[in-house]
Amino acid sequence: MPLLEIDGKPVETPAGMNLIEAARLLNVEIPHYCYHAGLTVVGSCRMCQVEVEISGRKSIAIACNTKAADGMKITTRSEVVHKLRQSVLEFYLQHHPLDCPICDDAGECDLQNYYMEHGLHDSRMPLAEKKHKHKVMDVGPNIVLDSERCVLCTRCVRFCREITGTGELGVFGHGRDAELLNVPGKILDNDYAGNVVDVCPVGALTDKDFRFKRRVWYMKRTASICTGCSRGCNIFVDWETDRRYKDPQRRIQRLKPRYNRLVNEWWMCDQGRYGYHSVDEANRLLSPKTKSQSNGHALSVDEVITKIAARVESAIEKQGPGSVAVIASASSSNEDLFLLNRLFIDKLKVQNIDVTFGFEAKGKEDELLKKSDLAPNRRGALELQVKPWGGEGQGGDDLIAAAIEGEFEVVIVVRHDLSTAMSEKDFAKLRRNTGYIAYLSSHENGLTEVADDVVPIAMWAEREATYTNFQGRVQKTARPFDPAGLAIPEWEVWKKFGEIAGVELNFSDVRDVFNAIGMHFESFKGINWESVGSGGRMLNGTPEPTYKRIQTSTPLTAY
Amino acid sequence: MIGNGSTRLLSRNFDVENLTNLEVALKHGAYEQLKRAVKMKPEEVTEIVKASGLRGHGGAGFSAGTKWGFIPKDKFPRYVTVNGDESEPGTCKDRLIFERDPHLLIEGALICAYAVQAERIYIYIRGEYFYPTRVVAEAVQQAYAKGFAGKNILNSGWSCSIHMHNGAGAYICGEETGLIESLEGKKGWPRLKPPFYPAAIGLWGQPTIVNNVETLAFVPRILEIGAEKFAGLGSPKNGGTALYSLSGNISRPGVYELPMGTPLMDLVNEYGGGIPNGRKLKAVIPGGSSSHILTAEECENLPLDFESVAARGSMLGSAAVMVIDETVSIPKLMHWMVRFYAHESCGQCTPCREGTDWLLRLSKRFLDGSARKRDIDDMWELADNIDGKTICALGAAVAWPTKSYLVKFRHEFEAACKN
Repeated sequence: MPLLEIDGKPVETPAGMNLIEAARLLNVEIPHYCYHAGLTVVGSCRMCQVEVEISGRKSIAIACNTKAADGMKITTRSEVVHKLRQSVLEFYLQHHPLDCPICDDAGECDLQNYYMEHGLHDSRMPLAEKKHKHKVMDVGPNIVLDSERCVLCTRCVRFCREITGTGELGVFGHGRDAELLNVPGKILDNDYAGNVVDVCPVGALTDKDFRFKRRVWYMKRTASICTGCSRGCNIFVDWETDRRYKDPQRRIQRLKPRYNRLVNEWWMCDQGRYGYHSVDEANRLLSPKTKSQSNGHALSVDEVITKIAARVESAIEKQGPGSVAVIASASSSNEDLFLLNRLFIDKLKVQNIDVTFGFEAKGKEDELLKKSDLAPNRRGALELQVKPWGGEGQGGDDLIAAAIEGEFEVVIVVRHDLSTAMSEKDFAKLRRNTGYIAYLSSHENGLTEVADDVVPIAMWAEREATYTNFQGRVQKTARPFDPAGLAIPEWEVWKKFGEIAGVELNFSDVRDVFNAIGMHFESFKGINWESVGSGGRMLNGTPEPTYKRIQTSTPLTAY
Repeated sequence: MIGNGSTRLLSRNFDVENLTNLEVALKHGAYEQLKRAVKMKPEEVTEIVKASGLRGHGGAGFSAGTKWGFIPKDKFPRYVTVNGDESEPGTCKDRLIFERDPHLLIEGALICAYAVQAERIYIYIRGEYFYPTRVVAEAVQQAYAKGFAGKNILNSGWSCSIHMHNGAGAYICGEETGLIESLEGKKGWPRLKPPFYPAAIGLWGQPTIVNNVETLAFVPRILEIGAEKFAGLGSPKNGGTALYSLSGNISRPGVYELPMGTPLMDLVNEYGGGIPNGRKLKAVIPGGSSSHILTAEECENLPLDFESVAARGSMLGSAAVMVIDETVSIPKLMHWMVRFYAHESCGQCTPCREGTDWLLRLSKRFLDGSARKRDIDDMWELADNIDGKTICALGAAVAWPTKSYLVKFRHEFEAACKN
């Protein structure tokens, strides 16, 4: 482990670490544009130059391509280094407009930040001599390029070559005419294209979904996880609710990947990135629905849950637990599924319950991040034994078939829209044959139209919850803002149901529920809300997966 | 024109008619040294080249034998790349070797390949060199036909193929890593160093020797006359002779083969016939357009070898000596020089991409009379901000001459200013 000094402070670094990363260990930022820890080092921006002293000999070196070595003395703040940074910035700003008031990257642009910190020079370049390049170019369906703002760091080019292996972008022309453009005949339309906006250190590449929607300083940022598939990529939710006049249907402004070495590194797929729109979609279910008489007033959520509980109880009383089926969902959180298990399997002895069905949509799986299983908590459902394995009840597609044939008096459906999952004929048959259908849904759909009672449930961005991803890692979502309308988290539905049905599910909040899981399930033993932390925690008995770089198996070379 | 130097090693047979024909070349000793080399141990060949003091004639002047010795012992396959990109303004010597004695080059490259046990040679020729390409390509075919190249060369058990590659005319493809990228079919952008020196990680990640045409052409001669005799020809630490490309305001421009360390003024006056029309010498650019300019006073008593020219604050580079007489405007000269480098900047790293372009615009002002005095200081500062801060040496190639012109001929720039 090399021991070196950075700005007079000693630091021990892992072998092979470069100086930018070594300085980060001391919270020292060495400015850079082209360097990105997830991409190959090209050393072209020259912004990270520092003074390096080895055995008394001082020289200038680029920090990205200099490995920390024993006895090195690094100076990142000196007159010499300041001059170097200033000169590089001056080179960049010859032609690059510092048009922060109109650039959509204002507040997140490294050129802006470094200029304020290291530049602040008067331009020696007459305005008339500044070169002009392409503005507002569509490089793909989601991405817009402003060539004039591009600093040619090639991070996006390298991303498309090394990570996705698709190579849609390149630098064309040479010298002063060098310009970032699409490779002829290719458009930036891979499943991870949105990441090029994240890696762009300036405002050259912007996201059509976000550009000019919000200024970054108005937004708040919450660490969460994506629930788009069973990987559970770590993300930041950038949200803003104060200026709803701008776009009343939009509380989440964008999602950004959050670094987690063993889950998603620096990246996320576009499906996850743009999947947040469903949170504030126009068809969100905002209030409970019921088919029964309401005495002229709108029913409260509690009243609807009471009705569901009463109906379930009476069915069990008359015909036994075999008359009730629960079509549960692997998209529910650990807490939801835990209470579901306690309520239906443990207490009410309902055996016809499952989370896995043939009609569930499968996603496209790839060698990078995307998993074909789109349910974020399949592993959690397995660990929490939602299907009463070994019991007498029916599971999966048998359960559905039986429901269609009218074997159940009561069917409780969680999250699945059965109206699109089965044929029109089967769906009508199910409705006809089943005495009572209760439905927990976040959106209005065909099933909300025909179900007897519908409870609006909160979505992932409106509630705290934990999910267990395919690796066996328990991770949690955050709750930046309240649920839409009268929606409540699913676990609260079961809690209220339990209270009415006389089942003790006495939890004051979601943390209590999660902390209680360990008392019943060995794999969660000793894991509590706090210990899950921001990076997640593996289930007991499930080893941490070995690190494998997220990269296509057929990367193209750097350029 | 070929030089009339007293010691002619490389150019010895340049005047022989039809030397490009293998039969003629064989009569003049071609491939004799290859026959000897393949009977030696590869390391012995490297040791001879090391002992001869042969230095790279492409510009850097690095010891050729030492470079060969850098090849990792256990990594195969290995490649030899002949750098015939020759695009430094003022330099025109490799072309003569291509055209006049291609078999000498091929023999040298084969000996090098044998010394480092390479299995393939790439001859990278500047895109504009149409005729030389044809000549060398024919010579390669002849060498194959006679068993000097290909499988089991001269029954030594060692095989080596030779491939021709034309550049697309980019200066930066003469830089060894830019050349490698170009050979790999990519944009000629130089590679970041360290750690990827071609001898360790070169073409397709394999050990690769990149040597200039002239350097490799010397190898058969070294074997022929012996390392000691070769070393004795030049000045200390500078073995043998060099091909000096003499151009500019000179009576007899051309390529002259002379021992390393030949005095500059001897080359100008004795061999080049001095400056025509009785004009006075103003300056000399001693090693291609990227070297610092030397004033007439600095040219006195200057032996043309790597150390002596460096001691005078310039460099021998590719030994392209450009003579400038009193009629030449230095601001104009600088503009032409900067224009070349600004055009040839590959655009990969910031100081070079943006800096050369800016220098070009500033240098233009001295031509149209719109320059201000502060532009002189601005140019110097810009050059300083480029110098040593780029991925490859192109940054320095424009910064060094710019700085030297501005310092040594500041009065001319001041005179060209409007205020």
